[in-house]
Amino acid sequence: MSQISDDSRPPSAESTTALAVEATGLVKQYRGRGGTVDAVRGVDLHVLEGEVFGFLGPNGAGKSTTVRMLTTLMSITSGTAKVTGIDVAAEPDAVREQIGVALQEAGLDPRQTGRELLVLQARLFGLSTSDAAKKAEELLDLVELVDAADRRINGYSGGMKRRLDLASALVHQPTVLFLDEPTTGLDPASRLTVWDEVRRINERGTTVFLTTQYLEEADQLCDRIAIIDEGVIVREGTPRELKSELRERQGLHSDPTLDEVFLDATGRTRERKAGEVQEVAG
Amino acid sequence: MSMVTEVNVLGTRALREAWRTPEALAPTLFIPIFFLVVNFGQAGKIFPSSSTDFLHGQTYAAFTLPSSLLLGASFGTAALYLVEEIEGGYFDKLRATPISRSSLVFGRLVAEGVKTVLLTAVLIILALPFGVSVASGLIGWILLLVLTSLWAMVFVGFMQLIALKTRSAAATNSGGLIFFPLLFLTPNFVPRDLLTRPMEIAATFNPVTYVMEALRSLILEDLEWVAIARGFGVVAVCGVIMVFLNVRVIRNYD
Repeated sequence: MSQISDDSRPPSAESTTALAVEATGLVKQYRGRGGTVDAVRGVDLHVLEGEVFGFLGPNGAGKSTTVRMLTTLMSITSGTAKVTGIDVAAEPDAVREQIGVALQEAGLDPRQTGRELLVLQARLFGLSTSDAAKKAEELLDLVELVDAADRRINGYSGGMKRRLDLASALVHQPTVLFLDEPTTGLDPASRLTVWDEVRRINERGTTVFLTTQYLEEADQLCDRIAIIDEGVIVREGTPRELKSELRERQGLHSDPTLDEVFLDATGRTRERKAGEVQEVAG
Repeated sequence: MSMVTEVNVLGTRALREAWRTPEALAPTLFIPIFFLVVNFGQAGKIFPSSSTDFLHGQTYAAFTLPSSLLLGASFGTAALYLVEEIEGGYFDKLRATPISRSSLVFGRLVAEGVKTVLLTAVLIILALPFGVSVASGLIGWILLLVLTSLWAMVFVGFMQLIALKTRSAAATNSGGLIFFPLLFLTPNFVPRDLLTRPMEIAATFNPVTYVMEALRSLILEDLEWVAIARGFGVVAVCGVIMVFLNVRVIRNYD
């Protein structure tokens, strides 16, 4: 991992700020017919309470696998992970009570209405029927879906589904919200709406763990980011620190973009081919 | 939240899902009725009620009705919804909630049971014009509905197992076809003692035989507790195995 300035280093055990997410030597191996695949190869993560943490990486780098392990959806081959201090492998139900999850595909039941889905989700987090109905109404208002609340989800646009998915992850006011590529496939207007929602959620005190392929998104939203490539963390710091580090290391006259940091970190370069800029392995 | 509430919440959703897809429900009514009509039409004259002892005075439709009831209870549509849920990511959403893993299994199974009670009642009512009556009376009616719906829960448990292991609609659908050989390796056209020896042996080892014979006894005879107990016993054993395997697969699901 590239050395970043001192204040960007992962918080030490003596740090006074509590950790919302902590992973040490996290490994995930899959056993398939073709042998063992190392999807995640020893990831260390330290996410502070109240921050928006961006987790970036190219396709297949191990972002979603890491998120699935942290959210109890996938077993951990080795290493440890804690969310709000609770061990993910030892106490998965206790972790589930603390987290909200919106995964890469907006995981929704298309045959239910938006309201029914939120009420159901709230009930599964232990709210009474009347409290669940109130919470659903509140969240529908938050994500501006009140007018579509009683329509079946299969009629929703991609942006509406994303917002509903986000709302469904908030029914129990989670301490940590995991968003796995929340804006992938959305038009620019819907993307901005989701960004606003993420900021609003974070302002209410929720720690946000966000994976994204969009560097601009990370630049706009995240307090700190980590870049993962081939299952290992290759950069970690604030966007400003990462840019400064690259500028100093390469002797540039101005700050590079986060895209350039990403390409440098993942060993990829850009080539112009047939009039298009393409990202290729370096 | 108690497991009962969790199962209730998830079961209600699964039922809502079923009622909102009538196009998936229709075949579960139409195909069993089709087989009842065809079987009765083809063999009704061969086995007249007046001279066929095993009909106990009823028409051949009454004898073949259990096959139709079991067929209607063995579509396992709920497992296909589960595959959709896995593919669409909603299953992960449910797995990320702090509910019992067993509730995830039982929610769908209970909904399938309730749905089958209603479908079975409709099927029996539709069979009445073919000279069918339930000889065991009101208790028999209730036992018919309960046993058929328990069988539906067992079979959908089996289908869910395939769905969870393969996460493939095609594989789950194909897995459901296993019911056809099981249905035909039973005394579905004539009683077991009239089958050829190899068929009789195959039917004896087939658990569906005992469920079918229990249903048949309820329709054709009074309460024959030995046959009924065998049917419920088979369903209980298969049910315990299916629930155990389903919960185990969901607990280790990655």
